[in-house]
Amino acid sequence: MTETFQLAVIGGGPAGMEAAITAAEAGVTVIIIDNFPSLGGQYYKPLPDEFGARKKTKTEREAEVLFKMVKGLPITQVHGALVWGLFPDEKQGGWLVAVHGEGAPKKVHVQAVVLATGAYDTPVAFPGWTLPGVLTAGAALTLVKTQRVAPGRRALVVGTGPLLLSAAAHLIDAGVQVPAVCEASRPFFKAIPYAFTALGQLGRIEEGIKYASKMASARTPYKMGWSIVEARGTERVEEAVITRLDSAYRPVEGSEQTIAVDTVVTGFHLIPNTGLARMIGCEFEYCQEKGGWVPLRDKTMQSSQPGVYIAGDGAGIGGAEMARLEGRMAGLAAAVQVGGITQGEAGGVYGRLKSELKHQRGYARMLGALFTPRPGLTALAKDDTLICRCEEITLGEIRSAVAAGARTLGEVKMITRTGMGNCQGRMCEHGVTNAIVAALTAEKATHQQVGMYSIRPPLHPLPVDVLADAAEELD
Amino acid sequence: MRIDQSSSLLPEVKRGKKIRIVVDGSFLDAFEGETVAAVLLAAGVIKFRLTREHRHPRGVYCGMGVCYECLVRVDGVDNVRACMTPVVDGMNVETCREVEL
Repeated sequence: MTETFQLAVIGGGPAGMEAAITAAEAGVTVIIIDNFPSLGGQYYKPLPDEFGARKKTKTEREAEVLFKMVKGLPITQVHGALVWGLFPDEKQGGWLVAVHGEGAPKKVHVQAVVLATGAYDTPVAFPGWTLPGVLTAGAALTLVKTQRVAPGRRALVVGTGPLLLSAAAHLIDAGVQVPAVCEASRPFFKAIPYAFTALGQLGRIEEGIKYASKMASARTPYKMGWSIVEARGTERVEEAVITRLDSAYRPVEGSEQTIAVDTVVTGFHLIPNTGLARMIGCEFEYCQEKGGWVPLRDKTMQSSQPGVYIAGDGAGIGGAEMARLEGRMAGLAAAVQVGGITQGEAGGVYGRLKSELKHQRGYARMLGALFTPRPGLTALAKDDTLICRCEEITLGEIRSAVAAGARTLGEVKMITRTGMGNCQGRMCEHGVTNAIVAALTAEKATHQQVGMYSIRPPLHPLPVDVLADAAEELD
Repeated sequence: MRIDQSSSLLPEVKRGKKIRIVVDGSFLDAFEGETVAAVLLAAGVIKFRLTREHRHPRGVYCGMGVCYECLVRVDGVDNVRACMTPVVDGMNVETCREVEL
C-alpha cells in the first residue's frame, strides 16, 4: 500500500528535523524517516526512550527542543526503518520512497524529498584495522553517550579532527584509560589564517577547552602530527604502533612507539552519506575539504534532480549548525515548491538563512583546511592490508587490477569485487579510490577520473521476500 | 563494561527495565533500550562474526548501521546489525555463526 505525503524527509538528525519542522510549519504534510529507534542522529545521539536522566547536557537540552517541535507539529515519524530506494514516479510525478521496517509504510509517494542522511567516519585502512577492538570515533561516542557502555578498558584515540577530543574526553569520563590521542594534523599551526573565523565560534572553543582539560587531568597527551600505523593482536587488539607523520602525513621511519591497548578508536574526519542522491542520478563534484564526492545544489539546497533537496553533512561536511540552517532552507524551499507557502511569504526568511549560512561556511572551510586527511595516510596500508572489509580484498589485489589496466573505481570493482559486499562500498570507496590514484601517480590520475561506485537499489541488504514483494509493487 | 559513575559529560542515567537475553546459549543481563551490540560489549564479547572467506573475527566498527561488520543471528534471523537492534526480553543472539550471506 502506498501512503501519500507532500514531503518526505530522510534522516532525523539536525538537518532533517529542521527541514521537517520548517515545512510542517508552512502547512506541508511531512513524513520523517530515520534508521534509528529515535530522532537525533549522530550529532545529538539521544539516550534511548527507555533510559531516564535527571540531569541533561547542553546538547541534550538543545535536541529536546527540536524533538518537542517535531512532536507538536503534524509530522508523521517513522523510526527504525531503512529507506532502500528512491524512484521517480513516472505516472503521477514526484517521488516514490521505498521503506523497510516494522510498522513502516512500504512505499511513500511524495512531491518533494529532503535527503538529510548525514555522514560517517572516513574509514582509513592500516594493518590490523579489521581486528575486533578497532572502532570508529562515531561508534565509540554512540556506545558511551547513548548506551553508557565502554568499548574497552584502555583505548588509543587516533585520526584527525575535533571529534578526537570529544571521543577522548567522553572515554575518560567513562572510566576508560586513554594513553594518547594521535592527531595526524598540526591544527594550531594551520589555524593561524583562520583566527578570525575561530573567534566567531567561541562556544565551540569553550567545548574544546573542556575536553582538553579532561585530557590534561587524565594525563592523556595530545600528539599532533602522529598517527597509528598498525594494530596488532591475534583475535582482538592487543597493542598499537604509532608513528610521527611528515607534512604530507607519511610515516616518519624510526619514530615508532608501541602501546598496549585493548581498543583503538579511529576518527579520520567524515564522509557524506550520499547513496540515495547517487541512486537517482544527482550530479556530483569532488571536493576533498567537504569529505569527497558531494552533490551539486542550488541556493535552496535543491539537487540537480527537481524536487530533491539535500541538507546537512550528507551534502558536504559542515557541522551541526550548518546542517540546521541548510535543513531550514531545504524545508522552506520544499514548502514553496509544493504550494505550502508562496515565494513572497518565504522571501524574508530565505534572505536571513542565506546570510547565516554564509557565516557558517567559514567555519566549515576552516575545519576542512585543518583536518582533511592528506594522501600520506593511504600509505599506511600494506599490500596484504584489507581495503574492502566485506569482500576481503587487499591493497595488493587492487594494485594488481590497476596494473592489469583498470583505471576507474567501476573497473576495479568488476575485477576484484570491491564494493560488492554488505556495506555496498560505503566502507571501501575512499580507500580503493586513493589506492588507484596512488598507483597511477605517473599518469597523474585524479579522483574525478577514478570516479565513484554507481549505487543501485537496494541501498542496503534486504531479506529476499521484501525485495520480491517490492518488485511486484513498484512495477 | 557498563558505565555507572556519573561525570560532567556523562551525567547519571537510569537504565530501562532489567531483562535477560540468551547469547550463545548463556543468559546475559540486559536493560531495555540497550542495543545488542552494547549488551555484548558490556559482557566483554567483542567478536561478533567470522568473515566468509578467511573466517577472521570482526566486531563493532562504525556503530551506526553503515558498515555491516557487527552482524549476528537474532531469533533465528541471520545478518542482523547488532548496533541497530534494541534488545527484547528473552531474545536469542548467536555470534560467529557459520552460515552467513
